[in-house]
Amino acid sequence: MITTKDLTFSYKQEAHTFSFPDIVLKEQENLLILGKSGIGKTTLLHLLAGLLKPNGGSIFIDDLDINSLSANKLDAFRGKNIGLVFQKNHAVRSLTVFKNLQARLFLSRKNIKNTVIDGLLEELDLIEYKNRRISALSEGQLQRLGIAMSVIHNPKVILADEPTSSLDDENCKIVIELLKKQAEKNNANLVVITHDHRIKSFFQNSITL
Amino acid sequence: MNIWKISVENIKSKPLYTLLSVFMLALSIALLLGIQQLKTSFKYQMENNLGDIDLVIGAKGSPLQLVLSSVLHLDNPTGNIPFKEANKFGRNPMIKKAVPISYGDNYKGFRIVGTAPEFMTFYEAEIENGRQVQKSLEVILGHMVAEQLQLKIGDTFLSSHGLVDNDAHVHDDEFTVVGILKPTQKVIDRLIVTNLESIWDVHDHEDHENLDNHEDKEEHEDHEDHDNHGDHQDHTDDEHHDHENHEHNDHEEDKEITSLLISFRNPAALLTLPRRINEDTNMQAALPKYELNKLYEYTGIGFKTISWIAYVILIISGMTIFISLYKMIKERAFDLALLRTYGASNTQLIKMVTYEGLIIICFAFIIGFIFTKAGLYFLFNYLESGYQKTIVQALPISEALQIIGLVFAMIILSISLAIYPIIKMNISTILSNEK
Repeated sequence: MITTKDLTFSYKQEAHTFSFPDIVLKEQENLLILGKSGIGKTTLLHLLAGLLKPNGGSIFIDDLDINSLSANKLDAFRGKNIGLVFQKNHAVRSLTVFKNLQARLFLSRKNIKNTVIDGLLEELDLIEYKNRRISALSEGQLQRLGIAMSVIHNPKVILADEPTSSLDDENCKIVIELLKKQAEKNNANLVVITHDHRIKSFFQNSITL
Repeated sequence: MNIWKISVENIKSKPLYTLLSVFMLALSIALLLGIQQLKTSFKYQMENNLGDIDLVIGAKGSPLQLVLSSVLHLDNPTGNIPFKEANKFGRNPMIKKAVPISYGDNYKGFRIVGTAPEFMTFYEAEIENGRQVQKSLEVILGHMVAEQLQLKIGDTFLSSHGLVDNDAHVHDDEFTVVGILKPTQKVIDRLIVTNLESIWDVHDHEDHENLDNHEDKEEHEDHEDHDNHGDHQDHTDDEHHDHENHEHNDHEEDKEITSLLISFRNPAALLTLPRRINEDTNMQAALPKYELNKLYEYTGIGFKTISWIAYVILIISGMTIFISLYKMIKERAFDLALLRTYGASNTQLIKMVTYEGLIIICFAFIIGFIFTKAGLYFLFNYLESGYQKTIVQALPISEALQIIGLVFAMIILSISLAIYPIIKMNISTILSNEK
């Protein structure tokens, strides 16, 4: 469950203030946020992830005002409840696929069995790359690993920032479907921001900034 | 999985960088430790070998030479002095101990010192096995001598004349080993100790032979002969003296010794006695502490220079570590930001980078220690081709800790400076600039 109200944000160096429409997502509801570059999509996503603090307004995730948390508590909250998917960088380069997932779970303070990790890798067709370093993976494999990283800890919210921009049509479809499936499995809200109109048809809810 | 394991993985993922940092740091640690160890050994050799010898009385000449020869047993003696005259000073009530020593021979480069039993008390040397010298031609071996020459109690050997190993001039009198000393880490470890009579007997005997065989030879030739052996002039004098008085050879009063080692009961004697000896007699009195301090001041400049070079290297390697960590943090900014989105706190990231630094330091220390040990080993094996058997002194723990502390301070400073960007990190900006 996500609710935002009267969110505003401005970067220190810039005079311009972003104002965002209110978002209300019930359990299992997904949202697509469309918009041109520079319109503040990523800013909104970072506000939802607690990576930025808004100038005004409030964000509630599961009835918790995330901006009322202290910096350390917010780090912990993010680690436990939020999964982020990025456009290109999906995991830590010095670790293998499997160790990335283990490290993620350790940092999220979640205890999940190795067999569950294996299961997820199987599901995402990554099991044979389990012990490879990140640099050995292809674009599509990396994007799938990014999804694995964002859902392995059973988050309440999955936030995806341009997850499909660098993918071809086929991979684009695969990734969006995987994201939706994993969100559903985890009973999580999926919020995707993109300027990629190819994925509009996959979402019932969408807003344009 | 934990922070430590992530650090180890990070280190493993960039072996070349790790290797270079480790090597650089190890080199400067080795240099610092090595220099410190050399300096300590040198100083220890000098100061500790003094035992409680406050004053040396010997023949006129260079006081430094007298101290080097009679106290550190390194240089050639300045000459000989009459035993009788030296003994007059030995009876002064301000003197606690006066021990005569007499040189003349060596065995395989180790000096044979004729002396009194109290000689050993200067160095607090104890007999490990065997007994004290009781009669002429019996010797006690310093620990290192016994070890290096593989001599046991009951073994016998022939000494060579002079203080340098040579085959040209070997005496006929056999020395018998009757005792071996415990290691003292002092100069006595590399000496062969006997009584004064042994030295006199060997050389009297020699002199008789010389007289018998070379009676017609000129003294002048004899003199040259000895110089050729790297021998010291006093021996010629000694023999000269013996030539003249050889019918009185058996009277101790006419014997000569190389020097008299003195320790005072009352330090006030330091002020009066040396002057009296230097002014009123043919002998000189040298103060070992004073002479060695002078020498140490000269050589100290060299050590200081090398130390400074080592410190500069340490600073450079500290900077290298700082630069590589800093660069690594900048390059890995996205990875670090990702870790933050996984729930890692700033503290956890700082821990991670610190662990990486610490892993490098630990390896550097281990390799640095190995470098030092190996370096000094080769250095001394190389140097020991000379007749000076130098002992490498183990570095006192306090000094080693001082260096370790210094290196750690340096590294901690580098790490903290490198960590600064983590504290200042803006995750949102880094994630938005994804490339």
